[in-house]
Amino acid sequence: MSERGLSVADGVSGALLVTLAALLLCWLVLAIWEGRTRRAPSWVPLSGVLSALLLAGAVLRPTLVTTRGTDLFPKVVVLMDRSWRLGLKAGERTRDDVAQAALGDLRKQLKQSRLEVLGFGEGPAAPLVDDDSAAPRPTDSDLTSALRGLLEAPGERPKSIVVVSDGRLSSPSESSTPEALRALGERLGAPINTIRVAESSPPDASIRRAATAGAAVAHQKLALELTIGCSGGLACNELPVTVEELLHGEPPALLAQGSAKVLGGVATVELPFTLDRAGRRLVRVKLQAPDGDRVPENDTRILTFDVTRERVRVLHVAGRPTYDVRALRMWLKADESIDLIAFFILRTNTDSTQVSDDSELSLIPFPVDELFTEHLPSFDAVILQDIDAVEYKLERHLPALARYVRAGGGLIMVGGPSAFMGGGYAGSPLAEVLPITLPEQGPPFDMAPFEPRITDAGRAAPTLRGVRELLGDRLPLMQGSSTLGPARPGSIVLWEHPDRRAGASAMPMLSLGESGDGRSIALGVDGTHLLEWSELGERGAGRAYGALWEGLVGWLMRDPRYESARLELTHECRAGAPVALSITRLPGAAVDVKVTLQRLGGLRGEPTLGLLTSKGGQPLPEKQLRMEGSVETVTVPLGVLDEDGYSATVRIGSAPPARFDFACERGGPAFADSRPDPQLLERIAEQTGGVSLGARDVATLKAPPATRVASQRVSAPLLPAWLWALLAAVSIGAHWYARRRAGLL
Amino acid sequence: MLTGLAALATTTQAHAFGDVGAFNPRVIVAGGKRLVAPRSSAPSAWSIELMNRTSAPARLVPKEIGLDRPELCSEPFAVWAGSTDVGGLSVAERRGLAKFIRLGGVLLVDDSDPQNGAFGRSVRRELLRVLPEAPPVKLDASHVLYKTFYIVDRPVGRVLGPPTIDAIVRGKNAQVLLLAHDLLGALAREGDGSSSLPTEPSSYEQRQHAIRFAVNIAMYVLCSDYKDDQVHAPFLMRRRAQAR
Repeated sequence: MSERGLSVADGVSGALLVTLAALLLCWLVLAIWEGRTRRAPSWVPLSGVLSALLLAGAVLRPTLVTTRGTDLFPKVVVLMDRSWRLGLKAGERTRDDVAQAALGDLRKQLKQSRLEVLGFGEGPAAPLVDDDSAAPRPTDSDLTSALRGLLEAPGERPKSIVVVSDGRLSSPSESSTPEALRALGERLGAPINTIRVAESSPPDASIRRAATAGAAVAHQKLALELTIGCSGGLACNELPVTVEELLHGEPPALLAQGSAKVLGGVATVELPFTLDRAGRRLVRVKLQAPDGDRVPENDTRILTFDVTRERVRVLHVAGRPTYDVRALRMWLKADESIDLIAFFILRTNTDSTQVSDDSELSLIPFPVDELFTEHLPSFDAVILQDIDAVEYKLERHLPALARYVRAGGGLIMVGGPSAFMGGGYAGSPLAEVLPITLPEQGPPFDMAPFEPRITDAGRAAPTLRGVRELLGDRLPLMQGSSTLGPARPGSIVLWEHPDRRAGASAMPMLSLGESGDGRSIALGVDGTHLLEWSELGERGAGRAYGALWEGLVGWLMRDPRYESARLELTHECRAGAPVALSITRLPGAAVDVKVTLQRLGGLRGEPTLGLLTSKGGQPLPEKQLRMEGSVETVTVPLGVLDEDGYSATVRIGSAPPARFDFACERGGPAFADSRPDPQLLERIAEQTGGVSLGARDVATLKAPPATRVASQRVSAPLLPAWLWALLAAVSIGAHWYARRRAGLL
Repeated sequence: MLTGLAALATTTQAHAFGDVGAFNPRVIVAGGKRLVAPRSSAPSAWSIELMNRTSAPARLVPKEIGLDRPELCSEPFAVWAGSTDVGGLSVAERRGLAKFIRLGGVLLVDDSDPQNGAFGRSVRRELLRVLPEAPPVKLDASHVLYKTFYIVDRPVGRVLGPPTIDAIVRGKNAQVLLLAHDLLGALAREGDGSSSLPTEPSSYEQRQHAIRFAVNIAMYVLCSDYKDDQVHAPFLMRRRAQAR
C-alpha cells in the first residue's frame, strides 16, 4: 500500500515558511488595496500574485513524496476470567464453556487485530494456554490487578481491552463508584469492552460468606458469622445450618447449629463455638438448602482454622511428690506460655498424718471426677506421672481420657512404680492410645540401673536436638524402668533399654505416637530430673532437662520447630481437580520419605489408605520417594480428591512423622455467590468508553483502527530548481512591465 | 540405731525407681565440721516422719556431703546445721555452694544453738560472700512453706524461736531457709525411737509442731509452691477460717 503527497525541499525551516507566508499575505493585501484605490486593471494584481507564488515556489522548491507502508493491526488484549467460579452453570453449559465459545467468536471477529489472550484471577494476568485443565484455578476474579499488570508490563500498550467474565468480580466490586471504574481504563488509555457470559442467577441457596471476628484461640469462644444467600427465584424461609469439626478416626463432632431466616434474599446467622485443640482444625458448615437448589456445591463449606493458644493449658497429675515431679513442675511453672493445673497425691490411705481432723492439713480431695469429665476438654495436654489409676479412681475415666487424646489432646505418661502396668493401665482403653503396647502379665517394672540408649530415630528427631546438643549421645544413669511392650505401628522410639527386650526388639523407653487427632508420649523412666541434677546434667549446666521437656511438650503441641518436615499444598485443594503436597525437610543426608493420606472423619479402624495413586492409576497405601543431598523440597501429587477433609502424614527417614490436615471443597469461596453481575460489566464498559455485549453478540464488536507504518519514502522535485528561478524572474519581469503600462510606476 | 529408726517406717512398697527421686536431707560438711549426735540421727528421723505421714518417698540413710563435692549438685536439697562459727569457706566450697543455689537447689540452714547464734551469723556471712546480690529477707506469714502439707502458723523447732524465718529468695523461690529453731534437735531420735533432746519449753505439742514444720519443708522441697496454686486457694481459706 502506498500514499502520495506534497512537501518542500529539505532544509526549509519552519521559520522560513512562516516568514514567506507573512510576506505573501502582505503582498496580496497590497495588491488588493492597489487595485481598489488606484483603479489598476485586474491583470496587474493577478500578475503580482502569480509572480509572488512563483517566487515562493523558487524558494520552497515543492517535492512530490511517495510513501509505501503497511497497516499495523491494533493490539487487543482479551482478559478471560479464570476463577473456579466459572465452573458454575449458565443455562445448560458452564460459564467456562460460554466464555470459551465467546473467545472463539472474538478470534474470528477481531481478525484484523493482534489478539493477546490472558487469563486473570489473582494478581497479574497470565497467558492462557490451550489446555490448562490441569492448572489450578484461582478463587478470585481480580480485574484491577490484571489491568495494573498490563500497565506495568513493558512493550506496546493495547488499543482495546476485552474482558470475558460473569461479572462477579472481587475487584472492582459491585459497589465501586463510576470514578473508580473510569480510572481503570484511563490509566491504560484504552476502552474496556466486556463480554457477559451469564445474565441470570440460578435458583440457589448458598453460604455466601463465613467470617469470624478475630483469630481462633483454643478454648475461647469463636463467633462464626454466616451470610446465607438465596437467589434465582428459589423460595427460602428458615434454613437449618450445622457446624461440625472433622476429626481423625472419629465421627465429626457437632460444634453448633442454628437456622437462618432469609429476608430479602439474605440472612445472617451467628454461631458461636469453641475449638479446644490448637493447630489446623477443619470445620464443616452445612446449609440445608430447600428443594430446587441448582447449585448444591455451595451448600457446604469446609473451613480451615489455624487455632492458636494464648497459653498451653497443661494438667499435671502426679502419684507422689518426688524430685522428678519437682523438676517437671518447676519447669512447667517457669514457662510463661504454659498455664499449669497440677494435682499431686500427697497422702495415701495408709499414711498417718497425726492430726485430730483434716482442718489441720492443707490437703484437698483429688477432684478426679471433676477433672476428667467436666474440665478435661479444656486442657491441651495431660501429664500422668507415676499415678496409680486404680487406687486413685482414675480407672473409670480412662475411656474418656482415650477419647480426649483421639480428639486431639496430648498425653504424656511418665514412668515409675505406679505408671503403665504398675498403675493398672494395661488392657485399659488408655493403653490403646499410647505409642507402645502394654503387657498384661509380668513384673510392672525393673529396678536394674541402666543408661537409656538413643535410637537412630532419636538422633534424627528435632524433639531431642536440644538435649543432644548439650550432652551428645550420653544420658544419665536411670535407677529403674517401667515394663513397656513393643512400639505400636507408626510410633517412633527415641530411647530404648540397652538390656531389656520387648518382643523381638529392645524395650522402648521414650516413644512418640499419634492416635486419632492427638499425640501421646510414653516415658518409661522416672529420672529425667537427672538431666538437671547429676554430674552429667551439670555438664549442660542443668539445661538439658529443660531442653528435653521443651522438645517433648513442643512435639506434643505440634510446635513446627519439632516437626521433621514442613508441609503445605501447592495450591488450594478442589474436589475433582488434581492437588499436590509440597514437602520441605530439614537439611541433611539423603533420606527415604513416605507419604500416606487419610480421610478425616472416618471411624477408627476404617481403612482410609489407598487414596494416593500410582502413574497407572492404581491405589497405593503409601507413596515412597527419596530426597538426596541438597534436595530439601519435593512435590508429591496427591491425585484427584473428593469433597472432604484429609490428613497427609509424611515420615522423613526415621524421624517422627509430620502431619498436615487440609480441606478439599467442591465450590469453596469461589462458588459462594453464584449470581452473575452483568450490570457491573456494563458499568465498566460505559465508564471506560467500551461496549458491553452478551456472549452471543460478540460478532458486533468493532476492532480499533489499524496503525499505518511507513516502510519506504521517495521524494522527487515537481520542477528543477533552475526552472523555478527562471519562472519567478520572468513573472516578476512581466509584472513590472504590466505596472508600467498601467502607469503605476 | 539407723536400722532401728528405719524399722519405724511402715511403708515398704516401692515409691520410686531406686531412691533417686526420693527426699534426701543430706547433711553438709563444711570446714571439716560434721553434724554430731544426737542431731546426726535427725535426717533419718525426718525421712521416716515424712514417709509415715505423706506419700512422699524419702531416703532413710541420708549421706553427708561436702560443699566442695560435685555430688552436691546431684540432688536439689541439703541441710547445713551446726552450733558454732563455720569459719571461712574455701574457694572450692564457695564455688560449690554458688553452683548448687544457681542450679535451683534448696538449702536449709539450721542453727542448733540459736540462743548463741554464732552458727547462724557465720553462715549468713559466708552466704553474703557467695550470693552478694541476694540478701536474706523475712518470709511473709502467707508463704507456701506454712501450708505445703500441714497448716502451721509459725516455724517451730526444738526451741520456739522467732515467729518468722529469713530466707534468700531468688526469682519466685525461697532457696535458702535460715532457721533459728534447732529443727534437727526436735527431730533427733534415740535408738528406741524416743526423742533425744527436750523441747524448750518442754511440750509434746511443740515437738509435733516441729515435726509438722519439718514435713512442710520437705514438701516445699518436693513440690515447690504447689499449694500456692489457685486451685487450692478456696480450700485453704476455708480451713484457716475453721482453725480460727
